[in-house]
This record gives sequence, C-alpha cells and structure tokens, in this order.
Amino acid sequence: MTSLDLVVRALRGSDARSSALSYLVHAALGVAMWFAIVQVAARVVPVERRIQLAALGIPVVLAAVAIAWIATRPRPDALMQSADVHLGLKERLSTAWERRAAHGVMDDLLRQDALQHALRDRLVRAFPIRISRREAGAVVIVAAAALALAVLPNPMDRVLAQAQADRASQAKAANTIHDVQKKIAAAAKTAPVDPKVQKILSDTAKQIQDAKDPRQALEAISPAEQQLRQLSDPQTPARTSTTQNLAGALSTTNAGKAASVALSSSPSQGAEAVRNLAAQLPSLSPEERAQLAKALASAAKSAKDPAMAASLQRASDALSSGDLGTAAAALNDLAGQLDSLENQQNNDQQIASAINGLEAARQALAEQADRDAAGSPVSAGTAAGASPAAGASPAGGNGNGNANGNGNGSGSGNGNGNGNGNGGSAGTGSSGSGSGTGTAAKPSEELYVPGQPVPGQQENDPTPLGPGQDVPLTPYTQVIQSYQQAALDATNQSLIPGSERDLVREYFARLGE
Amino acid sequence: MTSRLVIAEEPSADPKKVTELANNLEAELARLIVGQKELLRDTVIALISGGHILLEGVPGLGKTMLVRSLGQALDLTFSRIQFTPDLMPADIVGTNIIREDSGRREFEYQHGPIFASLVLADEVNRATPKTQSALLEAMQERTVTVGTETRALPVPFFVLATQNPIELEGTYPLPEAQLDRFFFKALVPFPSETELLEIARRTTGNALPELHAVGDADAIVAAQRVAREVPIAEHVLSYAARLITATHPNRTELDSVRRYVRYGASPRGLQTLVLAGKVRALLEGRYNVAFDDLAAVAHPALRHRVFLQFEAEADAITTDQIIDEILEHAKKESPGS
Repeated sequence: MTSLDLVVRALRGSDARSSALSYLVHAALGVAMWFAIVQVAARVVPVERRIQLAALGIPVVLAAVAIAWIATRPRPDALMQSADVHLGLKERLSTAWERRAAHGVMDDLLRQDALQHALRDRLVRAFPIRISRREAGAVVIVAAAALALAVLPNPMDRVLAQAQADRASQAKAANTIHDVQKKIAAAAKTAPVDPKVQKILSDTAKQIQDAKDPRQALEAISPAEQQLRQLSDPQTPARTSTTQNLAGALSTTNAGKAASVALSSSPSQGAEAVRNLAAQLPSLSPEERAQLAKALASAAKSAKDPAMAASLQRASDALSSGDLGTAAAALNDLAGQLDSLENQQNNDQQIASAINGLEAARQALAEQADRDAAGSPVSAGTAAGASPAAGASPAGGNGNGNANGNGNGSGSGNGNGNGNGNGGSAGTGSSGSGSGTGTAAKPSEELYVPGQPVPGQQENDPTPLGPGQDVPLTPYTQVIQSYQQAALDATNQSLIPGSERDLVREYFARLGE
Repeated sequence: MTSRLVIAEEPSADPKKVTELANNLEAELARLIVGQKELLRDTVIALISGGHILLEGVPGLGKTMLVRSLGQALDLTFSRIQFTPDLMPADIVGTNIIREDSGRREFEYQHGPIFASLVLADEVNRATPKTQSALLEAMQERTVTVGTETRALPVPFFVLATQNPIELEGTYPLPEAQLDRFFFKALVPFPSETELLEIARRTTGNALPELHAVGDADAIVAAQRVAREVPIAEHVLSYAARLITATHPNRTELDSVRRYVRYGASPRGLQTLVLAGKVRALLEGRYNVAFDDLAAVAHPALRHRVFLQFEAEADAITTDQIIDEILEHAKKESPGS
C-alpha cells in the first residue's frame, strides 16, 4: 500500500466521521418529521397505536439514511479534491493521486510534495465534524412541534377511547354469553335443547365480537333471543298449571295425598307417584276410588292442556265406572306426560338462562352504545335554520325541528335536506342534530322524517324516540305512553327490519303492562 | 551565475532551480523597478513560458527600464525598436544591402533590431499595420524571411511591446488576430505615493543600482522546458476549459458575458492559461497546477482575448470586470467548494 493509499484511507475515515454526523442529523430530522406527520395524521384520523407507529419510523429512517450514507461515500479522487480544498493544499493531493502511476519528470517530486503537505496537515481536518445550524434548528423545531402535537389534547383520543370501550363492552358481552354457555354445560340436569342453545349462544357471541360497534352488536341479540324462544314448547305453562291443579285436587283425597305432594315437588316425582297410584287402584276402597275420580274430574275440568285433560277425564270416568284397568292406563299416560313436562321445564330453564345471559350482554352493550351517543350530545332542534333551503319553497323546509341521529352518525334535518349532525343515541333516543340542506319539501309530498317528535312530546324534549332503537336505558315514566304509541306506529313502517318488529312490539307492550 | 551553470548543465533541470531562477530574477529586477510586483511576476511568467507580452501603460512608468533591466539580469541581448508611422518592416527584420568586396558586389544581409533575445517594441500601435504584422509574424514564427532566405531568431526570443492607452490619435490599434499572439497583456499601473517617493530616491542620486545577471539564455530555455513538465490534474484542466468557455457569449450562463462580450477567448487563450499556470506553480514552489494559478494568470492571459461590445464601453465595463465575474462563477462550480 502506497503512502497515497494511506492518505486516502485516512481521508475516508475523516469523511466517514464527518458525513456520519451529518447524516445522523438528517436522520434526526427525518425521524422528527415522521413523528410530526404521525401526530398530525392522528389528529385527522384515529390512529390507535400512534406511538408505536411513530417509533416504527425510527429504524426505517435510520436504515434509509444509513443506505444513503453508504451509497454516497465519495471516490478517492473526489476525497482528494475535497481535501485539497479544505486543507488548502492547492490541488497537490488530487494531482498526485491522479498521477500516482505516472513516471514523468516531476511526478516523484509531486508525490513527495503532496505527502509532505498532507502529513503537515492533520488529515482529519479535511472533513471537519460540523453540524449545519440550519438543519439542527429544523430538527429542534420539528421535534418540538411533534412533541407539542403529542402532548396537546388530541380530539381523536376520545374517538379511540370510545372504540376501545366499544371493544371492551363487546368482549364483556361475549364473555357473559360464554359464561352462560359454561353454566348450561355444567348444569346437573341436561336438556334436549342444550346443543341448539349452545350453538345459538356461540354464534351470537361471535357476532357480537365481530361487530364494528356495540350498536351493531346489539342487533345480533334479538334474533338470538327469538331463536331461543322458538326452542321453547308453548304448552309448558299450560301443563305446569294443569299439574298444579292436579296436585291441589289430589290433596283433598286420601289416596292421592302422596301423589299431590310428589307433584308439588316436581313433575318427575309426580309422574312416579301417579304410576304408584295407578298400581294401587285395585287396593282402594270404593269410597276412595269415588273420591279420587271426583278429584281427577275436577282437575280435568280446570286443565289447560288438552292432552292432560283428556287423560284425567278418562281416568276419572274409568274409576267412576269401576274399570280399573282403563283408569290405570289413563293414569300411566298422565305419568308419561308429566315426564315429558319435566324435560320441557328443563328446556325452558336452559333457554331462560340463555336469554338472561343475552339480556345481560345486551345491557352491557346498550350502556356502551348509550355512552357513545352521549359523547356527542346535541340538543334537539339544532338543525333549525341551518338549512339553506329556507324559503326555497313555500312549504318552508328550513329545518325546524329536531334531527334524529342514526346511531353515532349523521342526523337529518327535516325538509328534504340532508343533515350533517352528531348525536342520536342508540336506544335512548337522545337527541341528534343536523343541518339540513336542499330544497324544501312540498306540502303534499309524503316523506319520512326521522326524529319527528313523538306525539305529546315537547319539541325540545331531549329524549325523542329513535326508530330501530331497541334498548331503552332512561326512565320512561313520563313519556311511556307516547313512546309506546310511536313505537307501535313505527313498526308499521318499512324502516323497521322485519326481525325487529315483533321484538319492538313485545317490548313496548310489556312496558305498558 | 551559479544557477545559469546548473541549469545549463542539466537540461532536464531540477524544478527547484527554476523556482530559484525566477525568484532571483524578480528580486534583481525589484532592485531597480519600484513596486510593480504583479507586472514583474507576469513578465517572468511570460518569459519562462516562451511567450511575448504586451504592456499597456502611460509613458514614464518604467516599461523601457523593465526591459532593459531584464536584459541585464539575464545576460541576454537587448534591442529597442521605437515604433513610428514611418517605420518600415525592413527597419525591424533587416534588409539586404550591396557590399563591395575585392571589386565584387554582392548582397549581404544586415540584421534588423529584432535579432535580439529581448526586444522592446515601444509604442507598437504607432506603426502601420504592415510593420506591425512584420513584427508579429516574427513573434509567432520565431524566424525572419528576407528575400528568399529564412533566418531563425535567437533563442530565447522575447518581445515586450508597449502601447499607450490614452494617446490613440494617429495610432493603428492592433487587430484581434494580432493581439492573440501576445501571451500576456499586462497593465502597468501608476505607482502609489510611497512607490513614487522610492522612485525619486533611487533615480535622482548619482548612482543607480547595478544589476547582476542571475541567468542566461540556456537557463531560460531549460526553465521553459521544465515548466512544460509541470503536471496538471484533469479537473484543474477542466476548470481552465470552463473559464475559456465562459468567455463566449453563446456558451456561458453569465448574463454579463452574454450582454457585453462580442468574442470570447480563443483556444490559444486556454494554452496560455495552462502554460502560465504551470510556470506560476513552479514560481510558487509547487509541482502541480492549482486553481489559484489559473485564476492568478487569467487576467493577463485573457484580457486581450475577450472583445467587448460597444455597450460595455458605454456602461464602462472592462474586460477585467468580466473576467472577475467569470472567475467568481467558476469558483462556485469547482469541486469541493
């Protein structure tokens, strides 16, 4: 290696150090700018992990700068030329390097002269470590701006917090349903409908978890409840009632007292007792038989379940006519029906548990949906006058009236202008607002007006009923009648999904009770 | 005389000896010439480069003294030609005269004053173009043709022509093509007050300083040969080419050049820049040409090769100003700046 090569190596080191610092400042500027961009973007759109995203830029920027640093390393001739200029060597090094292999009259002298001057100067000075003040200033300014943006309140934080709360509430609701599933699976008495119930619950939990917000999650609950209800036998209450009546009737007879006690305890024990009673019929005295026949006839008369009533009546008639065989057979039929009732009651119990679980999930989701809606409260009637359509028609579609929010989204002003508004709570009917634009509606036009105040409600009442909202969370004592009427009217409109209509009707019907 | 011997004995001379010769020559001339350091430097550079120099200055500034002193300091033959309108070419290059020897007449060539190593062509613009061209042809070819015979001029052959910039009436300004044959055009500035005092002190006494020869013809020729060996790096050469290109109005980025310059420097200007740069590098004790060398010789090398428009004269723009601007612009573009 020649002395000039050593000079090149020394210059390379000096240049690498100098440019590394310079590139580090570039990197710092890049990182600061990336931070600032992320912070600005996070103020425009909700960015959930903005710190992580911003931090992700650091290795990317560093890698890019490192690549640029390596790629822009100067060639030896360029190094020599720069060193000449920076060290004031009057092009000695660059000329000597260019003619390093030449053997002219002066080339040896030139090389010696260049090396002497190069050694006289400290080669590290050729590329001094310097930071551009302008760039350093830019780094400080951009970093400060990014920091300020990170520290100052971000309106999107609320949106993000809401989204997190939404997810938490959905997870909680799904967990509630999973708990119910476990409870049903661990129940001592198994019911034939258990697999179906489990499937419905699993599907619902999945839908809740997959829903984009609590409001959408809520939409999965009502169909599930309907499916569960369809699993229930509608005759079960009638049979239960008949069983209770039978227990009451038998308690007045000597022969049927044991059966009465067993029936009161449970249908299965009652079934066993009835079979025993059928077996004991031949040993009963005529008075006891007559007493029993009378009690069975009384029970048959008050029975709400036709099959049980028929069995009771047949047993009563057979006893009265002394046909003990037929009476025993009728009682055994009755015992079979009681066994069936036991299963039905178990089914209903599991279904009820499942529905309770779904209701608990609904409650959790509804609370969160209500909080979401309350996050942007706007009083009713804020759409008033916001519509530039005022006066465009004699009908006066200038937006007076309340706007009804659809979920968390936009409200609509009345008239036929589209409202831009916030508010509208899921289920609670809290107010929304909207600014209507567009041409006013003609008087004869039949238009659906969301958020029309319910009958009897004050225009500024903050709790209008929202169509399609299925979970009330605020007290309705004062407006329940008008709400009920409005809801029932609303069910006739096509806006209400078919699957929801029955639920809405049933719900308001119950409230009215 | 030591330096003369060393250089004469070693034709592929030691560059350090050239530096020493030039420094000694400058020092010797400075004993008689007060101030004018730049002029002395330009003269020495032109001499070692093998070029001729055109001195422009008002009378009485020591132009003649400079040339005479140079002859003394270098032990070279010296002649002075005072150019006048009636000066004929034969008055310069010589002529054939009839000579009678033993009853036999024959032509014999009689040398003109141009047959000297140092020629002072005083007020060259006062002679007619015919006479001027005789001189300039001799300058270029370094030979003189009289009748059918061509005679070589002495080596070295160095012409210092002078012209007066203020008395232009009755003069014949040198045409552009003739100007281009001068290696340098040096301006002889008026001395400062301090220099004037020194001139008065030195020249109004009984004794004038006597100059000693520091070199001779051989030393100059050897120095000229050595100077051409000075290496120049490609990027420095490119810089020289950029300087020349920048003087051309249709090739430059500079508005002032486009506006004021009629013709830019010729390729001979580039040769001058590089060669003068090489000599200057040697004079500075270096063995390579630097940007600074080219910048330092740019004015004398280019000021008579860049021709301005009338508009420049109207706006009082000089070629030196244009060259300054070109240098400034080229400096920004040079590598590492």
